[in-house]
Amino acid sequence: MTNTANFHPSLELLTDFSQGKLATGISVALSAHLELCEICQEKASKLESEAAKFWAKAADDKTSPDFSDMISAIVGQAQTTYDESAGKQERPPVNEIHMLHHSVTLPRVLAKAASQGLVWKTLAGGIKRASVIVDNKTQCEFIYMTPGSQVPVHRHQGSEVTLVLDGSFSDELGHYRATDFMVRTKDNLHKPTSEEGCLCFAVLDSPLTFTKGFAKLMNPLIEYKFRKALAARA
Amino acid sequence: MYALSPNVNNFTAGSIAAKDRAKTPVNQIKPLAKTDPNSDESLLIAVGNTQDTSAFNQLFIRFSKKIFAMGMKLTRNEQVAHDLVQEAMLTVWQKAPLYDLDRGTAQSWIFTLTRNRCFDMLRKQKRQPNTISADDIWPTEGDGDAVFVNEERGSLEVEIAQIERFYSDLPDAQQAVVKQIFVLDRTHEEAAKALQIPLGTLKSRLRLGVGKLRQLIGPTP
Repeated sequence: MTNTANFHPSLELLTDFSQGKLATGISVALSAHLELCEICQEKASKLESEAAKFWAKAADDKTSPDFSDMISAIVGQAQTTYDESAGKQERPPVNEIHMLHHSVTLPRVLAKAASQGLVWKTLAGGIKRASVIVDNKTQCEFIYMTPGSQVPVHRHQGSEVTLVLDGSFSDELGHYRATDFMVRTKDNLHKPTSEEGCLCFAVLDSPLTFTKGFAKLMNPLIEYKFRKALAARA
Repeated sequence: MYALSPNVNNFTAGSIAAKDRAKTPVNQIKPLAKTDPNSDESLLIAVGNTQDTSAFNQLFIRFSKKIFAMGMKLTRNEQVAHDLVQEAMLTVWQKAPLYDLDRGTAQSWIFTLTRNRCFDMLRKQKRQPNTISADDIWPTEGDGDAVFVNEERGSLEVEIAQIERFYSDLPDAQQAVVKQIFVLDRTHEEAAKALQIPLGTLKSRLRLGVGKLRQLIGPTP
């Protein structure tokens, strides 16, 4: 059995990613998708070498300052030995999330993000979430939808990136399985449901707006909490 | 690879080779990157092997302004871009011993290293939490991998009989790669050649395949 993604990041997103232009939260989600998706991994590495080629080929700016006085200090430094660097890439301590009946192995970068400790909070509709802090521009969280759960209809004010890590969920636009990577913008109203249960990593760049029923009452509260959370980090 | 000059492929039909030769004066044919002592790659290897400072000087002249330009583009801050030149060129010097031709072109290697340093510097400047660094987002191909793969090899050879079932659950492409490396004991380069796939593809398939096997086998005592 293999997980071949049906939903992939766009070429634009991969291009910006390979040039280091994106916020950390989005970059983390993309990095995790790439670890799981061979197709995008290849695309990204191609984009990276194209960007490098373009960068190296561009003519130097004549007005650029001269930096050669830095050289002597640099070559006075010790060089890295092979072993020193090899030991650095150990797997971070938290690499699994335990679900009801099994555990899910996390991509390396998410394991690192989760190593700050996950505190799960239960929301209405059978949803649990645990936020992780990776930058002060986005809100990142693991979302666990228990089997049969349903998120109230909501609209995004900014955009939301979702990476499915295990299980599956559906909304009006499709059915998503492990490895799938989606971007939802403020034009998408959506109402995700999950029959079999689902673990996702989600990155939000502004708060959700619920559009129906009592859930609407939560909007000012969410907005307030989001602003407060961002302010606390800044 | 179009980095290599056309005359490398000396099995090309005579007429095509002759046509090429007619168009290109002999002295303009680019020598192989590997053998040109002035290529970025040769210089970088010299820095890594023999702490060659004049080779480093050359690289510094070629790349420092490009690094500054990237810094300005990404940070729009002259001071940060200036510091980036210092940090990135220092990293080039320090990590040069880790570079080899398997890692791709020198410009690609220096590009990613500069991007990563810049990413971390920006995070620091904006006082972002330091839970994630650029090296987590763009893991280095090679450094950790070599160790990882060798460890796996030892345990896999012992348990190969028991894991055959797991192995047969892998997608065909990953199975083929795992077979080349662990069963036929080929090097990455040999395996890539045998399967006629790029080295990068081989490495990523191997990582996915071994990762999956490791997950199926469960924790080893």
